[in-house]
Amino acid sequence: MPRAGRAASVTDVTGELIGPGPVITTAGLTKHYGAVHALTDLTVEVGSGVTGLVGANGAGKSTLIKILLGLLEPTGGHARVLGHDIEHDGQEIRRLVGYMPEHDCLPPDVSASDFTVHMARMSGLGASAARERAADVLRHVGLDEERYRPMGGYSTGMKQRAKLAQALAHDPQLVFLDEPTNGLDPAARNDMLDLVKRIGSDFGIAVLVTSHLLGELEQVSDHVIVLDGGHLLRSSATGDFLQRTGSLLVEVVGTETERDRLGEALAQRGLTCRPRGPMVAIDPPPPELAAEGVAHDLVRDVAAELGLGLMRLQPDRRHLEDVFLDGGTHV
Amino acid sequence: MSDTPQIGQSRPGVIHDLGYRHYDGVRDGTPTIARTLFVTGLRHAYGLGRSGKSKVMPFLLLGMSVLPALIVVGVVVLTGGSALPISYADYTNQTQLLVSLFAAAQAPVLFSRDLRHRSIVLYLARPLAAPVFSMVRWLSLTVAVWLFMAVPTLLLYLGALLAGIDKSDQTTSWLKAVVLQVLLAMMIAGITGLISSVSLRRGFAVVGSVMALIVLTGVITAVQAISADQDAASAATAVGLFSPWSLYNGLANAWDAGVDTFAPVEGAWPLAYALVAVLLVGGCLLGLVARFRKVGSR
Repeated sequence: MPRAGRAASVTDVTGELIGPGPVITTAGLTKHYGAVHALTDLTVEVGSGVTGLVGANGAGKSTLIKILLGLLEPTGGHARVLGHDIEHDGQEIRRLVGYMPEHDCLPPDVSASDFTVHMARMSGLGASAARERAADVLRHVGLDEERYRPMGGYSTGMKQRAKLAQALAHDPQLVFLDEPTNGLDPAARNDMLDLVKRIGSDFGIAVLVTSHLLGELEQVSDHVIVLDGGHLLRSSATGDFLQRTGSLLVEVVGTETERDRLGEALAQRGLTCRPRGPMVAIDPPPPELAAEGVAHDLVRDVAAELGLGLMRLQPDRRHLEDVFLDGGTHV
Repeated sequence: MSDTPQIGQSRPGVIHDLGYRHYDGVRDGTPTIARTLFVTGLRHAYGLGRSGKSKVMPFLLLGMSVLPALIVVGVVVLTGGSALPISYADYTNQTQLLVSLFAAAQAPVLFSRDLRHRSIVLYLARPLAAPVFSMVRWLSLTVAVWLFMAVPTLLLYLGALLAGIDKSDQTTSWLKAVVLQVLLAMMIAGITGLISSVSLRRGFAVVGSVMALIVLTGVITAVQAISADQDAASAATAVGLFSPWSLYNGLANAWDAGVDTFAPVEGAWPLAYALVAVLLVGGCLLGLVARFRKVGSR
């Protein structure tokens, strides 16, 4: 039987399997550097699958990961990773998790192949097992012939893959991916996001992935945690983020003139509209138009009446800033 | 990125695509991981398992320090001499420039690289914690430096046995030299390791180590010579506390291992020398642990 979801199984103190449970739990986790409050009273649970951790730079994402790895000591609070306490079982945790740091961490004069083998051995795999695993994970992350070249000559995309390979080399039960899409072009970014999704689903490894782009995490994660200035802003299933927005975006063929004609016409029919770039953003419709599809039909009819070519009609995606703006009410 | 295959796509017809496989085998404990790191570090100190270019410096220096020993052995064996012209401990002292250069050149390999390229973060996210990691690195360099000193003296010893020189005398003298070499290697590895872990540019690290080992030792030797010339024997001995090489020579002199110093190291001085040597090693180790712990948490 494939071990998908094995990370969700947590053993209690008696060693008995108590079924699916949280992979990470924190309670009142706090980290202060003098006057700088990197994390404040963070209480959150992370389950199996892919969990996105989103926040602006300096929101405390990397600090949280380092505390969970036992590299930093929290100022206060507790946390458990895979059923192990971070205070006492740091070594046991580091045996079971993989970590892909945000910044460059690859020696330039070593090949990805040699490096991944070495890192697998540093996690406790024997020489031949390490070689086999390294070959496997390098294939999964998509490093082929270039794995034998020194990593100093790699593109950013190849470096990110090599960093990911070393994090997976020892078959961890949980991986921390710190900004895996940093510095990637759109195509490489999509590849990386697909891979992150596959790690969570096909590989059966729980993933905690950080980003400062909510839209990016929406694509891959089952659950999203939003941090702001060290505080928990929100923690909910990814779907909730999408459901909460009732706004629509409409784009018509033509220039700003056509856009404004549509906007004004829609406003007369009782919708609140505002221009956004080449599109019209429609706020969540009032109650009489809120029924399923009514607003969509209205937009279609208005565009037809005005003789405008409807190019795009889509639900508005929330942006990180929106969560920050109304975030206080959800905590 | 166009030359790399799309990830996330199953590629039909590619026979080696087995899907993700989990690892259910044995996972080594911390002692085994530490031993692996130690062996890798020791090999890297001699450029083994690294590029061909990085093997040149260590083996060139090793060759230069072995060559005089081979000549001595050749002469003694051929002429059938009754004693070696140089003691084992003094041979190491005479090749101190090479030993210091070896340590200065190779310490950055073990102590600067991981910090400069930040791969230390990847190590510390694994079972070995910062204190163990830095101690293992230090042990690798210590053994590398010790081997560098031990190989020529071992050749001398074998040559002496081959020439039929009194075996028990030679064995005692050689074992004394080995003990002193170990202590010296611990000091040198600590000093060069600490310097390399602080100054991450290889050039600065090498220059710093050369200053600490070669220049400082030169200054101390000069001060000792002047003090001895001025009949200030205790001053000459006291100054010797400030360099690993003068500590080594002083202890070798006190232990009758065949090294001459400007003034005999006697009375309470041997104890002071030994104490300073141990404190030096301990201080360097504490410094290394603090340094790795600090960098690892950044």
